[in-house]
Amino acid sequence: MSTSRDDFGIVIRSALLQRGAKQKFSLFVLILLSLFIFILDNSNLKPIKVLRSLINDGVYRLSAVSSSPIKFSGASKDFFVKHIFTYQENERLRKELEDLKSKDFQTSFLEAENNKLQDVLGLEKKSPYSVINAKVILDKNSPYLNSVIINKGSNSGIKLGMPVLNEGYLAGRIVEVNFVSSRILLLNDLNSRIPVVISPSGTQAILSGAGKRQPSLEYLPDNFMLGEKDSLVFTSGKDGVLFPGIAVGKVVIDDNKKMVNLFANPDQINFVSVALKQQEDSGAR
Amino acid sequence: MALVLSKFRDSLFRLGPLILLIYICISEFHTQFYYWAIFSFNLQFIVIYYWILRDPDILGYGFVFICGFINDVVLSLPLGTSALSYLFVSLVAAYVRNATVRTSLFTDWFTFVVAVFIGNFIYFFLMNRFADAEIEYATLFYNSLFTFILYPLFWSIFEVYKKMTFARRND
Repeated sequence: MSTSRDDFGIVIRSALLQRGAKQKFSLFVLILLSLFIFILDNSNLKPIKVLRSLINDGVYRLSAVSSSPIKFSGASKDFFVKHIFTYQENERLRKELEDLKSKDFQTSFLEAENNKLQDVLGLEKKSPYSVINAKVILDKNSPYLNSVIINKGSNSGIKLGMPVLNEGYLAGRIVEVNFVSSRILLLNDLNSRIPVVISPSGTQAILSGAGKRQPSLEYLPDNFMLGEKDSLVFTSGKDGVLFPGIAVGKVVIDDNKKMVNLFANPDQINFVSVALKQQEDSGAR
Repeated sequence: MALVLSKFRDSLFRLGPLILLIYICISEFHTQFYYWAIFSFNLQFIVIYYWILRDPDILGYGFVFICGFINDVVLSLPLGTSALSYLFVSLVAAYVRNATVRTSLFTDWFTFVVAVFIGNFIYFFLMNRFADAEIEYATLFYNSLFTFILYPLFWSIFEVYKKMTFARRND
């Protein structure tokens, strides 16, 4: 019994301390070094944060360069697929255009009516938000994290928590800011929680990422029933960080669960707009 | 000139596993596929375990540490999390190498369970105790399961590669 324990001790000691011909460091030294780095990184000291930010910027750029063959192959595939289905897409777009044209008249009418009513009520008019456009330089999902890296950081005025839009729809929010790069936590990440409102009933809920393609709606009222017209989800702005009224997606029922089909497809994000702040309309009263 | 070129080619061939490991850590290489909802695996664990066990001269511990460090930066994990996880996988591989005389696919495969368990346990413990990120236990379980299931496939590929490298060295 004691012999086998001795053997285990000898073998584990040998595995930890042994260095081969090509091994410059022993496992023991590297494990200690990793622990030291881990403790330093968790210490939240300002110089360490600045250093981490610089390391992040460097590695993200390097990562973007090394990912270019993968991006190129993906883009080539998309290019061919798009060309193959051009005719069908053209037909579909024609039909969509006709629908949109008819809706455009209705929208213009509603916009004019809305402006008139705001004038009557004396409400303050606000333009949306000012945005800064950025390119996604790295899109690496892990089984535990759905996030992307963009090529703008604190030097462009980006701050933690800012909403990020893709083609006008909410795609996520900023969770890490470096000097020339930032990280966006996508809406479908397990750690994403966004206060939303379901239109037109105005029911409040929390959009919660599930690590899958579609996030779910949580904290709905007990007696909530999805109406025939209830389907669009917008940000409610209840958290005081995100602006209210940003379109998020459409409610779908999947296996009795209320999920949201996102307008901004998390797998197809190449360019984004970071909403910086709401600007007051110069003509507002 | 031909000799220099041949030596360069041989060195490049021997650097293959290291290049692969660095590349999967630093690039956009995805090991999770949404279309197969539960399918994800940890290729880094497979590469590290196989090469530390079978030919430690090809993959140094220092490089394993650096790859872990890069992986943490790319995935925004606390620095040192992946490095510790990978180094413990290396520790199991080094232990198995020192403790066994003859290894086969089956001995490698079943000891790999211990490596995956310890590697993911270190990762889970550090993330759970020190990071705000939420972890889905089912995802972690499926990730470990598919990593284990796919080991023989990569084992066979790496065996062929190792034989080719060895053959080139003895040419």
